[in-house]
Amino acid sequence: MRKNWWKILAAVFVSSSVVAGLMGPVPVLPILNETIRNVYFHVPMWFSMITLYLISVIYSIKYLSTGKMQYDTMAVEAVNTGILFCFLGLLTGMQWANITWGEPWPNDPKLNGSAIATLMYLAYLVLRNALEEEQKRARISAVYNIFAFPIMIVLLYILPKLTDSLHPGSGGNSTFSDIDMDNYMRPVFYTAVIGWILTGVWICTLRYRLRLLENKANQID
Amino acid sequence: MKKINLSLLLTLIGSLSAFAQSDSVAKVTTQVYQVEMATGLRSSGKIWVVVSVILTLVIGIYLFLFNIDRRVKKLEKNK
Amino acid sequence: MSLLKEVQILVAKDLALEWRSKQAINSIVLYVVSTVFVCYQAFETVDMLVWNALFWIILLFASINAISRSFTQESQYRQLYYYSITSPKAIILSKIIYNIILMTFLSIVTYIIYSIIFKNPVGDPYLYFLAVLLGSISFATVFTMVSGISSKTGNNSTIMAILAFPVIIPLLILLLKLSANALKGLDRASSDKEIVTLLAINVITVTVSLLLFPYLWRD
Repeated sequence: MRKNWWKILAAVFVSSSVVAGLMGPVPVLPILNETIRNVYFHVPMWFSMITLYLISVIYSIKYLSTGKMQYDTMAVEAVNTGILFCFLGLLTGMQWANITWGEPWPNDPKLNGSAIATLMYLAYLVLRNALEEEQKRARISAVYNIFAFPIMIVLLYILPKLTDSLHPGSGGNSTFSDIDMDNYMRPVFYTAVIGWILTGVWICTLRYRLRLLENKANQID
Repeated sequence: MKKINLSLLLTLIGSLSAFAQSDSVAKVTTQVYQVEMATGLRSSGKIWVVVSVILTLVIGIYLFLFNIDRRVKKLEKNK
Repeated sequence: MSLLKEVQILVAKDLALEWRSKQAINSIVLYVVSTVFVCYQAFETVDMLVWNALFWIILLFASINAISRSFTQESQYRQLYYYSITSPKAIILSKIIYNIILMTFLSIVTYIIYSIIFKNPVGDPYLYFLAVLLGSISFATVFTMVSGISSKTGNNSTIMAILAFPVIIPLLILLLKLSANALKGLDRASSDKEIVTLLAINVITVTVSLLLFPYLWRD
């Protein structure tokens, strides 16, 4: 059980963020009303997604410098899990936007940016499918992964700051810390973020281990 | 005479606009107090039903994950 | 032989190859002319927003067509020969520079043809021209690396489009905004941020390409 402490931590953090997120005090704001609590559930999806993509890039770099196949497996599984979190973030965001902004897909740079980032990683998976030979597939997809990552960072973090956005913290909108004046939300929010990131990493390692087992089983055949 | 008239008019407009401003401020403040925050659901305690439902879901999913984790570990040991 | 010298020779080689056949230039110019003409037949007159959007769409597809061939036009054997005599950094750098030259030429041609056939409503022509130049440089830097990646897979053109579009969209958003500013003739200081961001992205792309290409080239 000693190695499992962070998995328990993930479960405890997410559960406690559910309780505190639904029951804790939040600032009273028009339009948002109670939906401000979505900050605890929708935003951590994006943090987990970025963490997983970062892990994937790190493992791609590791693969290119060492040539060990398991690093490539880790990079793919991180992307797979990241895409899961990306879709969850998009779906929850669309539900929330439908209530507060009046339509599920307002023309917002962050929304468009995350959709394009999804396309980037789907393209990564298509590229992998197009290549037959294992070593070559690992190498070329690692190159594309590293090549696309800085542009994705520009897309998600720099472009929304340049343009008007409905999201907080960009284009003259008030930032998160302005809304949360009493710092009620901050501890709960960070608990939720850490909990979900750990959960994402956990799912990713599970998939990675399963993939390694599959590979071993295939080798014996 | 004309000057006095003008100044009178100006003060009138000034006070009117000030009045209008205070009126709008009052409107905004009442709006803030009337923001709907599901107080009924909270005071009746039924919010805990929602909390417990979501908590059950989350804990169930985590137990499931732990279960998968254990089975993977067993497979890894068999190799 | 120093890197710069190698790059110089390789660019001169590419230009000479192109000059001898003129196949790429001619086909792309023909492509641009026919697309512009089809658009003209379809739209007759356009307002400013559509004018801008159409221009970039035409340029985008022309550049994808032009650059996707940059690693496949020469045979495998000749590439093997280059591999044995030069460094991969020199090859990617020379390809990027050659594509920048090609794209600059192409985009100027496109711009001239486009503004002759459609009426040119640009408010600040110099800024718009700068946007076109920046656009062609950005297309060249991004697509060169992507075409390098896609040339390693069998079916080139589809993979090229799939890989290139998500990567180019952020740049295209910036370019559209910059050129819209130029169209409206806004104050130039208001487009500073876009220009700086575009240049920064280009610098990042070129450095990442230089770092990654040696791994791609190894075969």
